[in-house]
Amino acid sequence: MKPQLAMVIDSAKCMDCKGCMVACKVANEVPGGHFRNWIKVKEVAEPRPGRGRQGHFQPGACMHCDKPMCVDACPTGATFKDPKDGTVKIDRALCIGCGNCIPACPYGARYRHPVLKVADKCDYCPERRERGLLPACVDTCPTKARVFGDIADPDSEAARLLAANQGRIARVVRADSDTKPNMFYLADTAPADWPHKASITPPMLALTKWALPGVSALIGLAAAGVAAMAARRFLIERDGGGSGHGPGHGTEKEG
Amino acid sequence: MSDPMNSARQGFDPGRRNFLKAAGLLGAGAAASPRVLRALAPAEAQAASVRGEESSVFSACDMCFNRCGLIARVRGGRVTKLDPNPLFTKSRGMLCARGQAGVAQLYDSDRLKTPLLRQGARGEGKWKRISWDEAIALLSAKLEEIGKKYTRCGMLFSAGADMQSAFVNRFAEVYGSFNVTSHESLCLISGNRAFLDTFGEVPFADVLNSRYVIMAGANRFEALVTPDSMDMVEAMKGGAKLVVLDPRFTKTAAMADEWWPIRPGTDMAFMLALCNVIINEKLYDERWVAEKTFGLPELHEHVSAYTPEWAAQETGIPGPEIARIARELAAAAPASLVYPGRRTSDYENSTQIRRSFAIVNALLGNWDKPGGLLAARQVGVKPVPADAPWYDDNPETRVDAHLVPLMFEEEGSFVLTREAVITGEPYPVKGWFVYKTNPMQTAPDRTRTLEMVKAMEFVCVVDIQMSDTAWMADLVLPAPSYLERKDPCQALQGSSACACVVTREPAVPAMFESRPVFDVLKEVAGRLDLAEHFDFTIEEYRAKQLAALNGAADVLARDGVYYNPSKVYGIYDNMGYKTKSAKIELYNQRYITAGLDPLPVYAPPKSPPKEIADSAFRMVVGRSALVTQSSSTNNALLHELVPTNTLWMHPAAAARLGLKDGEMVRVKSPVGEGTQKLHVTAHIREDTVYTETGFGALSKGLSRINGNGLCIAAVLEGKYDSVTGNAAMHETFVSVTKAGGAA
Ligand code: SF4
Ligand code: SF4
Ligand code: SF4
Repeated sequence: MKPQLAMVIDSAKCMDCKGCMVACKVANEVPGGHFRNWIKVKEVAEPRPGRGRQGHFQPGACMHCDKPMCVDACPTGATFKDPKDGTVKIDRALCIGCGNCIPACPYGARYRHPVLKVADKCDYCPERRERGLLPACVDTCPTKARVFGDIADPDSEAARLLAANQGRIARVVRADSDTKPNMFYLADTAPADWPHKASITPPMLALTKWALPGVSALIGLAAAGVAAMAARRFLIERDGGGSGHGPGHGTEKEG
Repeated sequence: MSDPMNSARQGFDPGRRNFLKAAGLLGAGAAASPRVLRALAPAEAQAASVRGEESSVFSACDMCFNRCGLIARVRGGRVTKLDPNPLFTKSRGMLCARGQAGVAQLYDSDRLKTPLLRQGARGEGKWKRISWDEAIALLSAKLEEIGKKYTRCGMLFSAGADMQSAFVNRFAEVYGSFNVTSHESLCLISGNRAFLDTFGEVPFADVLNSRYVIMAGANRFEALVTPDSMDMVEAMKGGAKLVVLDPRFTKTAAMADEWWPIRPGTDMAFMLALCNVIINEKLYDERWVAEKTFGLPELHEHVSAYTPEWAAQETGIPGPEIARIARELAAAAPASLVYPGRRTSDYENSTQIRRSFAIVNALLGNWDKPGGLLAARQVGVKPVPADAPWYDDNPETRVDAHLVPLMFEEEGSFVLTREAVITGEPYPVKGWFVYKTNPMQTAPDRTRTLEMVKAMEFVCVVDIQMSDTAWMADLVLPAPSYLERKDPCQALQGSSACACVVTREPAVPAMFESRPVFDVLKEVAGRLDLAEHFDFTIEEYRAKQLAALNGAADVLARDGVYYNPSKVYGIYDNMGYKTKSAKIELYNQRYITAGLDPLPVYAPPKSPPKEIADSAFRMVVGRSALVTQSSSTNNALLHELVPTNTLWMHPAAAARLGLKDGEMVRVKSPVGEGTQKLHVTAHIREDTVYTETGFGALSKGLSRINGNGLCIAAVLEGKYDSVTGNAAMHETFVSVTKAGGAA
C-alpha cells in the first residue's frame, strides 16, 4: 500500500472545545472569517430527560481523498495528490485563485485566502512535521480524539487504531460525490448528512471567467498551469492506479 | 514516509498509564531535533530567535487558572505558536482553544501600553499618559497617605489567580492590611468550606479511575478543569458512567450517559434522597463507615423523610430513577463519586448544598481510594514567609469579619467587603489596589461595585488590558502578559495524575512600557521603608521555594515541569482526619457552635415575586471552553468563535412572551438591566434562562466587547452564601421583554 497520511478520529471523545480550530488558525495564519478545520454538531432539537449520549461532535478537515474532486476541478494543476505521502496539496505558485476547487469539495474544506488570493485548506502542517511535531490540531487536542499518521505503515498509531476497529470504521460520504476520503471515524459518528453535492465548473470556463489584472499575465500563468497539470497527471497516472480502498460508504474495513 | 517522531507520539494516550511510555518515546526521538522539544535557556533562546531560528521556551498558560504547561515557539523575536508541553501530565498534554489563543492576547492592540492617570470623572475614559517614575511616586504617596489617615487596613488589595499574585498578598501583609480579597469568594469557597468541614481538607476527584460519576452544578466538558475534563472522557471510554444534572442541556449533558434537567436550586434534595436510599438499603460498607465517619445515626434519622418520592417533587426527576441512580452509584463504590465541582457561587445555602454532596461521597467510602476523592499530595514547594511589621493603630480584624459564621480568614468575602467599604463600617477602607482581577465584571450587582469605587479615595489597577475595573480606576499600570514574564514557581496537583511544579520563563521581552507587578511592588516597598521584605529577585525567590526539592530547578529547566512522585492513595491509612472528631463528619459538630445546621436541611428554592411571575426566570450563568470570564472574551481569536453572549430561553417560554429567536431582548432584575440577543432553544428548562459571563463591558479599551452583549454583573443581585460570604449568583429572577419595548 502506498503511503497515506490520514486521520483516524474517535469522535465520541470530542467535546467540541475547539482547541484544534484555534491551534490550526495560529499555526497556519488562517485569516479571520476562515477556518481550515471544524467541528460538526449533531442537532438535538428536543433533548430527552434521562437519556444518554444524545449529542455528538465530529471533528473534520480536508480528508485528503483518494478521488479528490478538487484535483479534477483545478485548471492549473496547482491542486494535486502527492503520491509521496498521499496528501492533497496546493502549490501556491501555480494557484490562480479561480476558486473552481471550492464547490468541488463536498466537505467545504477549501476557502479562498483573501490576502494571498489562493485556495487554502488543511495540509497536515508540513512545517511542523518537518520539525518532528504533530499537526497543530492533533497535538493540542485535550482528549486526543484526532489521531494522525500513515495508515500504510502498520506501526503507526493511526493504522493500529484502524486495524483494531475493523468493521467499525465509518467515513462520511455522499453517494453522488464520493471522493473516497481518508478521514476515518471510529464506530458511529454524527452528523453524516452534511456534505454537499460536489460541483465542478469546466476548467476552461473557469479560466475565462477569471478576468483579472492583465490578459497576458493570465495567459502566461495558464500556460504554466496547464503544463504543470499535464506533468502531474502523468505522475499520478504512473504512480497511481488502484488505491487500496474498497467502496467507501458508511462502514468499511481498512487493510 | 511517516515521520518517526510522529509515529512515536501517536502512542500518546491522555491516560496516566501510557503517558510516561509515550513521553519516553518522545525523548528518544527528540535527539534528532532537540530544539523542537527541549526549551532553551532564556538568553540562548533570545539569541536563536534573533538569528531567525526558531527557539522554544517553557511556560505555563495563563488564559485560565489551570496553568497548562506549554512550549512557546519563538521566531524573529515573536511568539508564533504555543504548543502543549507533552510532558505536562496535569493537562494530559493539551492546550485548549484559549491556551492556543494566548498569542492573540500577547499581540492584542487593546493591551495597556503605558501608565495612565485619570483626567475626567471616574469611568469617563479620559486618561493622561504618565511616566513610570510619576506612577510609582503617586502610588507610594497614596499608600502612605491612606495608611496614615485610615490605618493600614484602609487599603484593600485584590489579586486574581496569577503566578505573581503572591507578591501582592505579601505586599499587603508587610504594608499592614488584613483586607485582601481574591476571585475565590466569587467562585469556589462554598464548595471548599463544605468538603473541608466534612473531610478536613478539600479533595481532588479521581475521575480517571472512577466507574460512576454524578455531576451536578458542574459542566466539565465546557468549563475545563485539568485533568478532570479529559479524564472523564477517558474513563467513559473505559466504560465509566456519567450522570449529569443540569437545567441546561450542556455539552457535558450531551455526552453523558444520563441527563436530568433538574430544577435549579434543588440539588440538595437529590443528594439527601441518595443518602436515604443508600442508608435504608444498607448499600454502604458498614465497617468502613462505622470506623471512619462520625454521625451516621443522626444522618440516618435526618434523611428518613427525604425519600426519592419526596425528592421527585422538588427536583423534577422521577423517584424510581433517583433510587436506581443511588443503587448504581453505591454498587460502583468505592470507585464512584459525586463530583465536588468548582464554582459553587450559586445559592445562598451553597455550603450546605455542597455538604450534601460531600456526605454522599462519605457514604460511598471513596475517600483516599482509586476512583474516589483524593487527599492533597505532597508537592514540596516551600512558602516564603514574610516577617511582617506590627502596626499598633490597626483594627483587630478584616473589615468583613464576623459577618458570616465561617468565612475563610485569608479570602474574606468580596460582596461583604464591598458593603463594608460603602457603609464605612466598622472602619473606613479608602484605597484599592487591584491586580489582574475584574470585580466590575465578575461580582454580582455592578451598581454596588460602582458605589464601592465611589467610596474610595484612590484606586490603582495593574492589568494587561483596560478591564472594566481599570476603567473606573485613578491610576492604571500596564503589566506584561504571562509570555513576557519570569515568574515564581507554582505547585499544582492534577488529581491522581500528578503533584508537580511549574514556572515561567519569558518567551519575549516585556512589550511596550509594561512592568511585572513584582517590580512595581518592589520599588514601592523601597519607598515605603519596606525594602527588606522584597529584598530578592525572582530567581532567589524560586530558589527558596525549591529548597526542599533537590535538583528540581534543573528538571524544570529541562522539562518545563517537575514531578514529586509522592503517595497518591492511602495517605490517610494511619492518620486521623483534620476535623473535631478526627473522623469524616457526616454530622458536623462545629456547625452547632456556629449556629448552623449540623446536617444539611433542605429548603425549597424561592419562587419569583408574584408581580413578575409570568415573565420571570431564574437566571443561571457560566463559562465555556472558550470563555474565561471577561479576561478572554476580548481576545481576537476567541471573539471570532464567541462574538457575543446570548440569552438562552425555552421555545415554550419565548412563545408565551411573543419573543423570537435572534431578536434583541431586555433583561431586567431588581438591581439592573441590559440587552442582548435571544437564543431560543429547547436546551434549557422553561423556568430558567442562561447567559455566559464576560460580555457587556463598559470599558472602551476593550474594543470587541464594549457594549456587546449582557454583563452578568449588571443584572445579578449581590446575594451571598450565608455560611462563607461567597457570592450567590443563581438567586436572581429576571424578566425578559423585547428590547426597546416598555419595561
Ligand atoms: S476533502 Fe475536499 S479539498 Fe480535501 S481532498 Fe477531498 S475533495 Fe479535496
Ligand atoms: S481539540 Fe479535540 S476535543 Fe477539542 S474540539 Fe478539537 S477534536 Fe474535539
Ligand atoms: S485549560 Fe486552557 S486556558 Fe486553562 S490553562 Fe489550560 S490551556 Fe490555558
